[in-house]
Amino acid sequence: MGDILVVAEHRGGQLAAVSLEMLSKGRELANHCGGQVAAVVIGKDADRYARRLAQHADTVVVVDHHGLEDSPAEPSQRVLSSIVSERKPKLVLMGHTSFAMDLAPALAVELGAALATDCLDVSARDGVFRVTTAPYNGKVRAVYAFAPSDIIIVTGRAGSFPVEQAQGQGDIEVLEYDVEQDGQRKVFEGYVEPEASDVDIAQAKVVVSVGRGIKDSDKLELAEELASALGGVVACSRPIVDYGWLPAGRQVGQSGKTVTPKLYVALGISGAFQHVVGLTGAKMIVAVNKDPHAPIFGVADYGIVGDLFEVVPALTQKVRELKA
Amino acid sequence: MNVVVAIKKVVDTSEAADVVEVDAAGKDISKAGLVSRLNDWDGYALEEGLRWREKLGGTATALTVGPRDWDDVLRTALAMGADAAVRVDEDAASMDCRSVARILATAIGKLPHDLVLFGAQSEDFGSAQLGPMVAQMLGLPHATLVVGLDVNDDRVHVSREIEGGARELYTLTLPALLTIQTGLNRPRYVSFSRIKRAREKEIGVTTLHELGLSSADLVPSVTLERLELTPAGRRAMLISGNPEEAAGALATLLKESGVI
Ligand SMILES: Cc1cc2nc3c(=O)[nH]c(=O)nc-3n(C[C@H](O)[C@H](O)[C@H](O)COP(=O)(O)OP(=O)(O)OC[C@H]3O[C@@H](n4cnc5c(N)ncnc54)[C@H](O)[C@@H]3O)c2cc1C
Ligand SMILES: Nc1ncnc2c1ncn2[C@@H]1O[C@H](COP(=O)(O)O)[C@@H](O)[C@H]1O
Repeated sequence: MGDILVVAEHRGGQLAAVSLEMLSKGRELANHCGGQVAAVVIGKDADRYARRLAQHADTVVVVDHHGLEDSPAEPSQRVLSSIVSERKPKLVLMGHTSFAMDLAPALAVELGAALATDCLDVSARDGVFRVTTAPYNGKVRAVYAFAPSDIIIVTGRAGSFPVEQAQGQGDIEVLEYDVEQDGQRKVFEGYVEPEASDVDIAQAKVVVSVGRGIKDSDKLELAEELASALGGVVACSRPIVDYGWLPAGRQVGQSGKTVTPKLYVALGISGAFQHVVGLTGAKMIVAVNKDPHAPIFGVADYGIVGDLFEVVPALTQKVRELKA
Repeated sequence: MNVVVAIKKVVDTSEAADVVEVDAAGKDISKAGLVSRLNDWDGYALEEGLRWREKLGGTATALTVGPRDWDDVLRTALAMGADAAVRVDEDAASMDCRSVARILATAIGKLPHDLVLFGAQSEDFGSAQLGPMVAQMLGLPHATLVVGLDVNDDRVHVSREIEGGARELYTLTLPALLTIQTGLNRPRYVSFSRIKRAREKEIGVTTLHELGLSSADLVPSVTLERLELTPAGRRAMLISGNPEEAAGALATLLKESGVI
């Protein structure tokens, strides 16, 4: 079936969890279909991740380059295209992260490889690779098959592939690459960390979160009243920040914060994957949504199917009564 | 400065999950009864492109690969202030991303372009592939998930969003291609009368043949085999009753479980 190459990602001294997930998936596919699993990790001091990766991989290729602290996509593309051209893996796996979103499509074109992004599953049967994706914000599942001849690149959704226990000890190779920035046409200038927020939603015990279903910034009051009755804070999904109705520090999800409350109340939030990844630490999730098929009910513990403008004031009232 | 913005039309399923069904061919959802509109991300891309063109002069062209009924998103673009609109008359929905990218790259190559803007992803099949694919095909530097940009002579400074709300900063030399993330501006409101007036403006319709492409250039590398509704992985216990009753029952549950 050919070899598998997994691109491992790291930032701020931490290996991305999704990279180990993809590596576990790569191992599983190789166990089924034969072939070797190699992991590549690129960046300054990337060797510190090699041992961990070698538990799953037959080979770990460390590309230690000093130009950059972490691994922005642009120099990584040149490193990876040369590694892939040389080693000719059948399948290249990486997490569907902001790094991969920048890198994978350009790399696929450069290598003439086939590409599928944001996949929930990858399988290989009878010589055909297939992936599953979740179009229309998760409302449907799509199964794609790859043409047999190409090199295949797949980016996988975080949390879709369990990390298996592994005690292997693959070989570690260190490569030196000269990664000058691309003729200066794209120059990395640095990172900006998120600004400190007025309210720290990450530490709050109760979070009342509003989504696009709130319709109007005037209606945020409804959430504030419920939050104050519950002794919690107000957070939101991304569109609410995009509209300028709440500051960025209140956003929950992939590009916002991860919250860990005892209670998370989602009001008019559909439950897109990029939102619910921020909820993995919540003890109890309650959702109010007028759509009984909203994906948020797939992660919530309790749900009310109904109009939030009717349910929320009633709920605030009942909570106040029970607390009195 | 010449701007090209790639846009597409999508069906709005955000509040319509209970009417979403797979169509007879099993390759897409059934669009009957659903409203179609401009891809959310592309509205932000258009707004950004128009602002820079208004500031720096030049032309702004909106470009789509789609069937005739996608003309209305081009009209929206014209009503917002685009100088020209081009539609490549092909059903992009039935092609793989690389083929659509090939068509877009060829079309953009024939247009004046200093700044090429894409949406970060589409709302329907949401692959987030097209922007960087087209950049690679055209040999342009690119940055994805852009949440801030500033054009300065022949450079563009961009801030791109990464996980957890952090950002990466880059400087790119023009011509460059950026994919735009939601929230970096407030797309202007276009009144119905402006859209109506834009009906008189011409949309340049072109074909694969005119672009010098043939089906041999568009061999799919991935094929959609089937589509199915997401199984109802229902976890939530749904509380029934009218709003009063449901709210009362929920409050009691919260009290019993000790969270209030
Ligand atoms: C790279 C990337 C990063 C992202 N990062 C994040 C992130 O960090 N956080 C995030 O939240 N999103 C993020 N997103 C966006 C995400 O994909 C979704 O678009 C977003 O979460 C949707 O927000 P929503 O649920 O509020 O809106 P919608 O999906 O529009 O849902 C609105 C919901 O409200 C319901 N509703 C409407 N009216 C009522 C009513 N009267 N009563 C009750 N219910 C009602 C509807 O049924 C619907 O389910 C990201 C996207 C990308 C591409
Ligand atoms: N058929 C199309 N015509 C023009 N632009 C498109 C088309 N499909 C996608 N795009 C652009 O590519 C972006 C990303 O789409 P995707 O890669 O499908 O997620 C969109 O936001 C649009 O800017």
